[in-house]
Amino acid sequence: MLNKEKEEKKAYRRFVIPSLVIFIFVMAFPIILSFILSLSNFSGGKMFGGSRWKITGLQNYSYLFSDSYFWNALLNNIYLVLISVFGQLPLGMILAYLIYRKTVKGGEFWQGILYVPSVISVIVIGIMWNLIFSPYGPVSQIINNINTTAFTKEVMAVLNGHLDFNGALVVNSSLIKDLVNINAQAASLLGDPVSVLTTFLKTSATGDLEETTRLLTNLLCPKWSASFLNEKGVAMLPILFVTLWCWTGMYLILFLANMQKIDPQTLDSAQIDGAKESTILRHIILPELSGVILNSAILCIAGSLSTFDLIYAMTGGGPARITQVLSIYMYEKAFTGTPNYPLSNAISIMMVVFSLVLIGITKAVQKRLEGDR
Amino acid sequence: MKNIKRILLLLAVLSLVLSMGFAEGIEENSGEKVTLKVLNYYDTTEPGYEKERQVWQNFRDENPNIDLVTEDLCNEAFHQKVSAYIASGNLPDVMYMYPSGRSMAIHENKLVKDLKPLLGEEFLSNFVSTALNTKTQGSGYLAELPQSICYTTVVYTNKGLLTSLGLKIPTTYEELKAMVPTLKANGIQTVLMANKDDWVMQSCLFSTIAGRYVGTKWFDDVKMGKVKFTDPEFVQALNMVKTMYDDGVISRNTIQLAYGEAPGLFASGKAAFFVDGDWKESAFLTNHTTGESLISPAKQETDLALIPFPALPGENYPGTVSSTLGCGFGISSAITAGSAKEIAAVKLMKYLYSSEIQQQYLELGRYVPTRKDVSAKKVEPIVKKMMGYYAQSESTCYVLDSALDPSVYTVLNKVLQEIGLGSKTPKEAAAEVQKAMDKYIAMQ
Repeated sequence: MLNKEKEEKKAYRRFVIPSLVIFIFVMAFPIILSFILSLSNFSGGKMFGGSRWKITGLQNYSYLFSDSYFWNALLNNIYLVLISVFGQLPLGMILAYLIYRKTVKGGEFWQGILYVPSVISVIVIGIMWNLIFSPYGPVSQIINNINTTAFTKEVMAVLNGHLDFNGALVVNSSLIKDLVNINAQAASLLGDPVSVLTTFLKTSATGDLEETTRLLTNLLCPKWSASFLNEKGVAMLPILFVTLWCWTGMYLILFLANMQKIDPQTLDSAQIDGAKESTILRHIILPELSGVILNSAILCIAGSLSTFDLIYAMTGGGPARITQVLSIYMYEKAFTGTPNYPLSNAISIMMVVFSLVLIGITKAVQKRLEGDR
Repeated sequence: MKNIKRILLLLAVLSLVLSMGFAEGIEENSGEKVTLKVLNYYDTTEPGYEKERQVWQNFRDENPNIDLVTEDLCNEAFHQKVSAYIASGNLPDVMYMYPSGRSMAIHENKLVKDLKPLLGEEFLSNFVSTALNTKTQGSGYLAELPQSICYTTVVYTNKGLLTSLGLKIPTTYEELKAMVPTLKANGIQTVLMANKDDWVMQSCLFSTIAGRYVGTKWFDDVKMGKVKFTDPEFVQALNMVKTMYDDGVISRNTIQLAYGEAPGLFASGKAAFFVDGDWKESAFLTNHTTGESLISPAKQETDLALIPFPALPGENYPGTVSSTLGCGFGISSAITAGSAKEIAAVKLMKYLYSSEIQQQYLELGRYVPTRKDVSAKKVEPIVKKMMGYYAQSESTCYVLDSALDPSVYTVLNKVLQEIGLGSKTPKEAAAEVQKAMDKYIAMQ
């Protein structure tokens, strides 16, 4: 008996020690070193044998807490966590449920289509959406073409109302007033619209009415561009949308795979007993999936906090840092301008702390729900 | 017995690993083959890239004993890689760098050698004396040999487009502003810039605007705390940027425009003017492999003009253009003095700065070299026009990311973007830059 116990302990050690060693070197040591560096004045180069560095205290943390860009980056990360946990997971769950219960036809097709974004390189996705939202991109062009067509008719109508008997355009204050009234906002961008339009019509307008209409349309037609995405509070929206679009498919597959493991007889007997779809979902499927939901939530939180590539490719954290998240903020402090490694390490430690807090909350919520059950 | 076998096996593995580790060192010391790691700055999408690769390949062919490992990067990716190299304490042997500004960390930590004794006076006598002025280098010694003098504000002008619309090349800001309605009516933007990267506005336009209003000495004074960024003259310069956006001279859309997108838009007639540095001329040259170009040499001759930014209202230093000593290559301090590696690095430097290669770079439109014995024989019209532009520039001022500490100019870059977005007033922006400067002065 004793021998067996000894043998078991030996086997346990043999299995655990290699992973423990790897964990210590790859995970634990860098985190501890990162924490030490966050308290130091290390300025790069060789850590041992290079220029001297020492522990200087918590000044990097106090800098962080007083820096509005840190809080802005943290807020953006919170948006990402929220869209991931309360967007990707429920959406993935609903879609998986619809496919699993065969509520929609062609389940396998939809499953494939929705999963495609997850297999495309995130950088490619970032660049692609960036081009779509670009002021010179396809969306702007399509919307502007539609705008221009409608606007041309209005300008033409105004010009037709100011022709003399020979069909020539009469440039007078009444015409200018009518033109300004078509789009007072665009006209106001011309500074003094009355004098600019008068000079313009007298110098640039030819006898060709169509050409004059084209020129005036370009001048006064509101130009649509996704410039609203430069505004604080709105700039994160495309990123949140793309995050949702990109990863929902992955959770769909996770949930669907776990739903398929549920014994069909359980569902059949529930149906025979007269259970509604909502009851089946609430009392059978969701409890069965609680483990995978928790794991997915942890994946979502970890992914949202460490996200870098998508935002870097889409906006680079700009304009003027309004779409920065903690990872980009850390990268900027470490690798652009004056490298500040201790501060960057402090940011990374804050990311770890924040992850632990969120995962702790998730675990507590799960425990509570399991307790209720 | 079992344990002895295990120990022997462990020793065998260890000796194998150690022998592999020392292999490189033995190779280097014996002088047989030296490996040189080089970090080059090059936009691999530009037309001359094939020829650039040939330059490096020719050196490899001529020097079979030198194993050249090159890395080509550009824009932010280049600077970020350099920062990563500095952080790891593992710089490449030969590397492209700036005379100060963005390479300040290399200069301050003396991570590259003084090139004067290595290249020798005779070799250096081939270069214009300005390039050898060590006062302009952050380290105070010849850390890199500047390949060129770099003008960071050039107004690339579509002269053909202006003529077709009955417009003339503007000489004042008022004339430029007066063109906006006519250009807009024809669906054309006035001034195009790629402002998504925040350094572009600062480096390629604001440095010149600031130079026109406050001059050069003002920036030396601001570093000593004698004047402040919040003083009216500097706020006036910031205000000019706001005015340009408000007047529609520069579209706010440009804040979403990536650096690589702008030359194509300008070449296709989407804008009448394009503001960028002199280095951007190479984007318009003919690709010798495909024979294609964004602007053909014939069109460069007839339709293109390179002009200084028009006179600004109330400017104090007319005609001033921001310029800095150009970038060049430096040799890592980590290389042992007198080693085979150092000899190889010097050989590579002399090759890169030879009149033959510099001539080639001139013809490729990369820059106008500081080397004296090159001549513009077979260059495309845009390169000739660029040389004319240098000649007509009356005076020069600082490029601010060369003159200010990174902790200050990164804030300036950001607030310039915020002015464009309308989220900060010029006064608020100035106060934020001054705050960064106060912090910098306190640390000195």
